Amino acid sequence: MIACILIPGFELRAALRRRPQLALEPAALAPLPGKDPVLGPVTGAAEAAGVRPGMRLGEALATCPSLVLVEQDPAEAGQAWEEIVRRLEDDGFAVEPVEPGCLYFEPRGVERLYGGVGQALKRALAAVGSAWDPRAGVAERRFAALAAASVARPGQLFVVSDERTRDFLAPLPLSLLPLEAERYAELEELGVKRIGQLAELPGAAVAERLGPGGRHAWSLARGEGRGRVRARRPPAEIVERFEFPEAVGNELTLRRALGALLDRVLARPERGGRAIRKLAVSARLVGGGSWRRTLTLREPAAETRAIRAGLGPKLAELSAPVTELAVELVELSESTGQQLELLRTEGGEAKRRLREGLRQVRASAGAGGVYSIVEVAPWSRIPEQRALLVPRDE
Amino acid sequence: MVSHSRAASVAGAPRRVNEPRAALVEARFDGTPTLVNRETVAAVREEWRVVDRWWTEEPVSRRYFDVVLESGRQVVVFADEERGGWFSQRGI
Repeated sequence: MIACILIPGFELRAALRRRPQLALEPAALAPLPGKDPVLGPVTGAAEAAGVRPGMRLGEALATCPSLVLVEQDPAEAGQAWEEIVRRLEDDGFAVEPVEPGCLYFEPRGVERLYGGVGQALKRALAAVGSAWDPRAGVAERRFAALAAASVARPGQLFVVSDERTRDFLAPLPLSLLPLEAERYAELEELGVKRIGQLAELPGAAVAERLGPGGRHAWSLARGEGRGRVRARRPPAEIVERFEFPEAVGNELTLRRALGALLDRVLARPERGGRAIRKLAVSARLVGGGSWRRTLTLREPAAETRAIRAGLGPKLAELSAPVTELAVELVELSESTGQQLELLRTEGGEAKRRLREGLRQVRASAGAGGVYSIVEVAPWSRIPEQRALLVPRDE
Repeated sequence: MVSHSRAASVAGAPRRVNEPRAALVEARFDGTPTLVNRETVAAVREEWRVVDRWWTEEPVSRRYFDVVLESGRQVVVFADEERGGWFSQRGI
């Protein structure tokens, strides 16, 4: 059994935490500079005025001249999401965050702790916090759990039994499926608007028309594809901040502040002598927005110089003067030292380096970032049938 | 508030290695490619056919060409005679 918790319009809600009065006015999340000028999530008041998420900026402003564009605040959203995930982890849920506003977990591990799946899910919703209007969906399959959470009302828990999965999915809109935007349009032109309509098409025809992604969506629409929950490893919670008395745009000053912050964060006793594998630098910008970059170190390190050499150049990407700079240790290495061997086994060093490399990739790309090539039919005359890329967890 | 951007992650699912990729190919009357992804074909090194799985509902019939482009790059393309269209493929 898989549970999904969904917070619609999470980025907008996070951005509005500092301007709560806008939640009741027509407001929408502004597009990022340099990206397509389309709106992100919108408030209820904006929707009532005819503004829809994904609408072009010009069209939205023509529809609702009083529309307030809320600047994206990735650092605030990241921090708020991390707080939510940690509250759930503190309550015993091993969660897999997919993106801000959407996470999965398996309630089986904690249902006895809370006296049943329903109680556990209520606890999870309470841990997220009612201010975020979270919705929960539970099903045997991952996609069905996501769909259930999508149709649930704020604070509601929606359970879909395995035998009802296909009937439940059938009337839902195609937009729930993980397809590219042009695929939705293509399917709508063909008269396929509901998940059930897609599920009834022949699989081979869907694959031919829409490719592997379409075939995957088709199997999800049929209630297939169980999917697993890959719980994350809770990150270290070590942050140091520096608030400037006035906005600073000088890179030299910022680099000095970064050096001081690194010294402070590396001196924190919670680190326990462990080296740093991944860290993040974030800044609050003078206009009210925020900025955040992460760095995964090739070799775990605990020396200010080595880390500063990696993080320093990222400060050049800042788009505005900074009012606050922060450094966060995201992931620490497991051991405090490296045990050397007296006699090295043949190939041992290569294996160690390979393991280390894979750990770095996982730390950087997250779970599901590493694959093994498995030969399934090396004799096949059709090249793509000879081998598969299979996710490698360990 | 309404709407959200979210998609069930496809990451983590097994997938094939060396999947064919759609290619923009212009060919002569005899089917030999002259232009691959807007680059002129300097030479055709080899040509062969793959006909397989004809006993299934998804038969395979491809005419492969191993070509050298003007830039010196070597590319393998094939004309899919079942589905139609041209594709490039590595790992031949």
